[in-house]
Amino acid sequence: MAINTANFTDEQLVVEIRENNKELYSEIMRRYQTKLSHYLKKFFRSQDELDDVLQEVFIKAYKNLYGFDVDKKFSSWIYRIAHNEAINHIKKNKRKNISLDETEWEIVDEKLDLHEEFDSKQMGERIQRAMGELKEKYREPLILYFFEQKSYEEISDILRLPRNTVGILIMRGKAKLKDILKYE
Amino acid sequence: MNETQNKIENEVMNKISSGKVQLRSKYIFLAEKLGIGSAFTLTILLAVLCFNLALFYLRASDNMAYLSFGSQGFLTFLESFPYLLVVALIILVFCAGWLIKKSDLSYKKPFGYFAVGLICFVVIGGIILTYTTVAEKIEQETFESHIGGLFFKPFLMHGLEARRGGIVGRITEVGGDYLVVQTPRALEKIILTSDTDLPSQPLLEGAFVVAIGKRVDNIFMVTKLQLINPEEMQMIRRGVHRRFGKFQPRADMPNSCRLSPSSSKPNNGGCF
Repeated sequence: MAINTANFTDEQLVVEIRENNKELYSEIMRRYQTKLSHYLKKFFRSQDELDDVLQEVFIKAYKNLYGFDVDKKFSSWIYRIAHNEAINHIKKNKRKNISLDETEWEIVDEKLDLHEEFDSKQMGERIQRAMGELKEKYREPLILYFFEQKSYEEISDILRLPRNTVGILIMRGKAKLKDILKYE
Repeated sequence: MNETQNKIENEVMNKISSGKVQLRSKYIFLAEKLGIGSAFTLTILLAVLCFNLALFYLRASDNMAYLSFGSQGFLTFLESFPYLLVVALIILVFCAGWLIKKSDLSYKKPFGYFAVGLICFVVIGGIILTYTTVAEKIEQETFESHIGGLFFKPFLMHGLEARRGGIVGRITEVGGDYLVVQTPRALEKIILTSDTDLPSQPLLEGAFVVAIGKRVDNIFMVTKLQLINPEEMQMIRRGVHRRFGKFQPRADMPNSCRLSPSSSKPNNGGCF
């Protein structure tokens, strides 16, 4: 009998998948492909690389489903896997990439109160460069905060940092980003 | 983009359906959690025990006594320090900290809180254990060569070893310019010179003494010597008793030079 999973939470889906309904995992992938793809774009410019890593993320998540605590948020858990896979891949290939969508620089502009009068393409490139120059410890929480709209609590679970530390890193990251953009 | 997403979805689901990708058993995760939990508990308990043994060592061996000689005894203090116990303690505390970091919940608070909590627990636990006889029992197991004590031998043995710059033991003979002293290892003759700083109380057979000086051709030349209080250096005392048994005064010594086995006070006058 087919199960109607539309109203299932992610955590309920995981319980079903564990109990031998492995085909329901496609629903998990449908829910998270776009989001994770969007997140991983901050790490990879190449679509092929992104697809490879995304596939690895879903495979790893499936394999370790019994390691997920259903009392916690599935979203934070799978984002953590995506984050770790991205970092591992970058370290292996010794790359330092940061790639923003055309309109994402506008989010940065608004959040940092820059109000720069630059051509949008130029601004996008400047912000991309500036984000790339930031240390990883500031860049990662900023990406999750600015572009994935994650709360401090969620960022704490994804990056395995105390909540207060997340707040401090975001505050300092914003300040440093503003400085880099000012003096560029 | 939809085509790509479908491609990824299909590839992953194919691997799952064909069995190429499988769920890791829930028992593996359970074993991991239990393993980390057990390892952490064992590490913490060993750290507490290590700290307790270090306190016991400092209290019951000759180590701290050399500090009472001031700067002259400092090198011998360093020589007799329980380095292995302290290093083991540090390693265990670091291991416990690492295991805390591996746990799922430790990231919620700054690691410093856990570090302070860990150290406080080890210190308080070690101090509480000093009110028990755990350390003495371990000493007994170690030096009576029981199997249970073999693990602790390298840590406690250092407390009874010979020192280059110090000596401690029970006087068994008082000579004109020498003492014969029973140490936990052997009988040793120590030489007193005109420059030797002696205590004001008389030196009597059966009394325990600690001295600093230097070894010249295997003979210990004493610079400074002190009598030990009856409650001090219990590990040394027990070491001497194990080696030589109860104190037996020599038949040919005058009464004034004898000390009864149960007392550290002189009978009358002094011999040295």
